[in-house]
Amino acid sequence: MEKLILQLKQEIIKVLNLEEVAPADIADDAPLFGEGLGLDSIDALELIVLMEKIYGIKLKDPAQGREIFKSIRVMAEYIHANRAK
Amino acid sequence: MSTPNGIYLLAAKQISVQPPLTDEWMDAPIRYREPYVQAIDPDYKRYFAPNVARRLGKILKRAMLTARLVREASGVDNPDAIITGTGLGCIESTEAFLNALARGGEELLTPTHFMQSTHNTISSLIAIDAGCKGYNSTYAHKGISLECALADAFTQLECSRIQTALVGAHDEMTPTYFTLLKRTGYLGHAPGGFSGEVALSMMLAATRSKNALCRLRGVEMAYGPANSDAPRQALTRLLQRARCSPNEIDAVMTGLSGLPANDQVYARICPELLPNKNLLRYKHLFGEAYTAPGLGMYAAAVCLYRQRIPAHLFVDHKRGEQRGVGHILCYNQLEEKNHAFILLSPCGK
Repeated sequence: MEKLILQLKQEIIKVLNLEEVAPADIADDAPLFGEGLGLDSIDALELIVLMEKIYGIKLKDPAQGREIFKSIRVMAEYIHANRAK
Repeated sequence: MSTPNGIYLLAAKQISVQPPLTDEWMDAPIRYREPYVQAIDPDYKRYFAPNVARRLGKILKRAMLTARLVREASGVDNPDAIITGTGLGCIESTEAFLNALARGGEELLTPTHFMQSTHNTISSLIAIDAGCKGYNSTYAHKGISLECALADAFTQLECSRIQTALVGAHDEMTPTYFTLLKRTGYLGHAPGGFSGEVALSMMLAATRSKNALCRLRGVEMAYGPANSDAPRQALTRLLQRARCSPNEIDAVMTGLSGLPANDQVYARICPELLPNKNLLRYKHLFGEAYTAPGLGMYAAAVCLYRQRIPAHLFVDHKRGEQRGVGHILCYNQLEEKNHAFILLSPCGK
């Protein structure tokens, strides 16, 4: 799980172009939206594409994202349980 | 179109292959030998918060920064119109979007590149950043995009529909696009010029400010294939409306680039239309791009403001620096089909 969390952080930094952020700066349990990284709705779309492209997970209901993108740890757990790649 | 009184160019800011946001090229220009050169970017961290900059492509950062700084320098925070000329738009994002489409199909496209893949993203982003809800337009007319944008602003200022206009010329050059130009023989071969990148913002106004760079007396364009009289007619219209005699023109800023096919057109037309005029050039410093003529206009405006033309701008550079500058005519042609003239004068004349 720790390996997946680190990989996920690296992918998010790359996809969202978070130049100033290092993986260590992102707390595993910190909120991704609003507080924490302060991501927005466009970032949510980027994360949906990331999930499908890298892990083969297709989110059919965008509303699912609210729960799945709560934090890095929640995301990683969901990926671990549902990944196709 | 032109007016006897003219319109004022209050301020201009550029990011190009010369040092950004300065006029250092006047005294210490950077010279390039390689055929493919990208712009020298300033440290954007000094100007943008990381969460603002992270989603913006290079061309958008450049456009937004030059627009901000020109608004600040001119004291016009909220221009009545924002008008942009761009030959290729946000080509880097367009390529990223299309490559993703080709590789992964339609289902795995990311929104950021899609949003930034249209030409009018530049003008709209500047408007959002400045909070301007007025006229907003983009001209994507290849090598005369800047002149089209300028003519639009000039017409509206002349008709008093607007009092101020932020006019931009923006183009980036990707490795892919450069490769395509190389295949056509347009760039990347010797002898020939080099490709550059352009981000230029200029503030135009109907009234003069204390530090205005120069007056814009008129813009004229003509479509005329080889041996057509259209360029001569356009130039005559421009000078008549501006009440300027050809004898009063001090120098002609040309688009000579080093590419024989391009330079031969200037070599033939300039002596015909503008005999015995001092010819200037700027593409040997700034490179080739669809909106490079914007940098030619900017270079002429700086010369008028400083009342000095450095020796390295003269085609005949042996003649040395010129002190005291009257009217400068900018002449740009594309493939000997599209011709554009811009007449600039010092503020006092």
